[in-house]
Amino acid sequence: MEIISKKSLASRIVFYVAAFCVLLFLISLSVFYFFSKKSIEEKTIENALEITQNTVLKTEQVLISSEKILNNYRWLIEKNIAYADSMEAYTRRILQMNPEIIGCAIAFKPDFFPEKGYYFSPFTYRNKDLLVSTQLGNEEYDYFVMDWYQIPATLEKPYWSEPYYDTGGGNALMTTYSMPFYSSNNGDKELAGIITIDLSLEWFTDIVSSVKILETGYASVISRNGTFVTHPNTDIIMNQTIFSFAAEMQSPGLRQIGRNMQAGKTGFEDVVVNGRDLIVSYKPLLTSNWTLAVVFSRDEMYAPLRQISLVLIFIIVIGMALMVFIVKKIVEQQIAPLKCFARSSIEIAEGNFNTELPDIKTEDEMKELHNAFVHMQTDLKKYIKNLKETTSAKEKIESELRIAREIQMGMIPKIFPPFPDTPEIDLYAMLEPAKEVGGDLYDFFMIDDTHLCYAIGDVSGKGVPASLFMAVTRTLLRSVAPKQRSTSEIVNNLNNSLAIGNESSMFVTFFIGIINLKTGEMNYTNAGHNPPIIIHADNKSEFFEITQDIPIGLFENYDYTEKTRVLSENDRLFLYTDGITEAENWDEELYSDERLIKCIRAINSLDPTEIVMKVARDVVVHVNDCQQSDDLTMMSIIYKGSKK
Amino acid sequence: MELTTNKKGDFTIAEINGRIDTTNYNEFETQIMDVIEKGEKNIILNCEGLNYISSSGLRVFLITQKKLMGLKGKLHLCNMQPAIKEIFDMSGFSSIFKIFNTEEEALE
Repeated sequence: MEIISKKSLASRIVFYVAAFCVLLFLISLSVFYFFSKKSIEEKTIENALEITQNTVLKTEQVLISSEKILNNYRWLIEKNIAYADSMEAYTRRILQMNPEIIGCAIAFKPDFFPEKGYYFSPFTYRNKDLLVSTQLGNEEYDYFVMDWYQIPATLEKPYWSEPYYDTGGGNALMTTYSMPFYSSNNGDKELAGIITIDLSLEWFTDIVSSVKILETGYASVISRNGTFVTHPNTDIIMNQTIFSFAAEMQSPGLRQIGRNMQAGKTGFEDVVVNGRDLIVSYKPLLTSNWTLAVVFSRDEMYAPLRQISLVLIFIIVIGMALMVFIVKKIVEQQIAPLKCFARSSIEIAEGNFNTELPDIKTEDEMKELHNAFVHMQTDLKKYIKNLKETTSAKEKIESELRIAREIQMGMIPKIFPPFPDTPEIDLYAMLEPAKEVGGDLYDFFMIDDTHLCYAIGDVSGKGVPASLFMAVTRTLLRSVAPKQRSTSEIVNNLNNSLAIGNESSMFVTFFIGIINLKTGEMNYTNAGHNPPIIIHADNKSEFFEITQDIPIGLFENYDYTEKTRVLSENDRLFLYTDGITEAENWDEELYSDERLIKCIRAINSLDPTEIVMKVARDVVVHVNDCQQSDDLTMMSIIYKGSKK
Repeated sequence: MELTTNKKGDFTIAEINGRIDTTNYNEFETQIMDVIEKGEKNIILNCEGLNYISSSGLRVFLITQKKLMGLKGKLHLCNMQPAIKEIFDMSGFSSIFKIFNTEEEALE
């Protein structure tokens, strides 16, 4: 399957069709072969039996007519038994009347005619066209002991001799039919002698030899004791018996058949001789107790069938080859557009949506595929157009947001240390918006040589609206603060400006402080912002007290309170927005005030940068990759004391 | 965040459950404005189930307060969890809103 699946669709279809056809042909051929074989077998067997029967009839006819002839003459001889000299005439007469008979003897028992001597047996035989008459018996040829005389005389029954070669007359194969005849003495029947006729077996052999069945099938006659009387192989005629032949061929089946023949049975049997499967049909000749056998080869029986099958297979193979070729061509032609579609889809995938599609003229599945491709092309074109538009719109917004962020970050001082020439103070701050722009802010600046103003704030909400509000707050702060020394005045000012027309109720939590660098005195105002942490020189830390002042931007003319405290040398301030204390991890746990102050206490550093960075790191550890939800802003200031 | 309301005397009691942050303050705003639009002027926000509020959420509280003040109605808050109360204190909102310990007190 591995190999097949790598081939083309056409090859695969052809393979399956061919496989199916081959299977079909094999089944058909097998069925044809099986039934034909059976039919041929039946026909051949029928034919063989018929041939056997016919041949037996033909041969028997001759033998029976010989028997009849002898019967008639016996009657004549018995009637005229007193006339010894007419006997020779009878023998001549028999030969004259019956051309198939080549010899005839009337052999009397010893001394039957005392005047004729011990032997009396007139005998006439054919010598070419002449009839020659003579006496048979003498000292050398004592016919009384011959089979042809002794057996019928003893049995008092006619007797067909075993076939034999006539040594006297022409070396022909012969057989002799002997029959006893009797004399009547006072009413008593008494054996008088034996009358014989010699029959040439040439005619017999001709009949049997003329039998042909299949290619090499033949008929054969086997005598009573198993001798081959006729056989296509002339060497074994009279030289071998069926038993000696069976022994030579090592065929026990043949020997059994021989026994059956001797028993006068009729049969139809398979036998293996010399490695060949033979079928033997045999039937006895009732007159002589010989057996006629028709023999043919099983292989030859099936030969025509094999031939037809070979022709069929040849035709099928040629047909299959043609079919494979034609089907492959047809399928390839039918699916040719698929390759074009594949090419088109690759081109489409590469971005060429206007690629040409194959031209389909038929109204079939190919047309459907074609229409689907057209549909896909137009849809893709539309989709890509939309995508380009939305992408460019998005990119525009993103680029605008990027610019907005740059502007916003530009509003916050970011050079540290900010006041390298002012040894009393050091400061560090950072701001990390959750989105591109945010609502947190911080700021610091010197109002004059001795006063540092710093602020941190957090606008409600996030993103663009918050960032706009933050920008406004920061701008107002820079315009208001330089004229003021009072933080509450600054915050009041900011609040009044922001509260006017604040339709959306945005607000800013805000912490502002002003430090006198000479004295360490600090006044501050907290408008709803997270209380900062103060870290004393001895590292004791605490939150500022909570004021009740509300965030700015809510109510016009709200009066904010101002507080003061004095910073000692190395006191540090830590300011932050709620993005720090409310930073959440995956379990929605807040970073919390407690953890913040614990962290601050653990830092124990005089460097504002280190304080901010370490808190930032601690927040990152807490958040643990959870998405930053709010802006993070921190500022740390150290008052190093007045340097005189 | 879930908001369930039921009427008790002159007041509609709205129970807040869950958190109000930047992701869902809009939802909270729409729901509470719906209540006001139905003609309810006196509202008690029961904050027993409120476990977190961001500045965006605080803004919705403020808008609600301003709206009801304009209608000459009342907004009472009650049953705040300590953490929420702390946020209100810290941001000064405790001084803007009327905050009660229990619903019964808020009803009086």
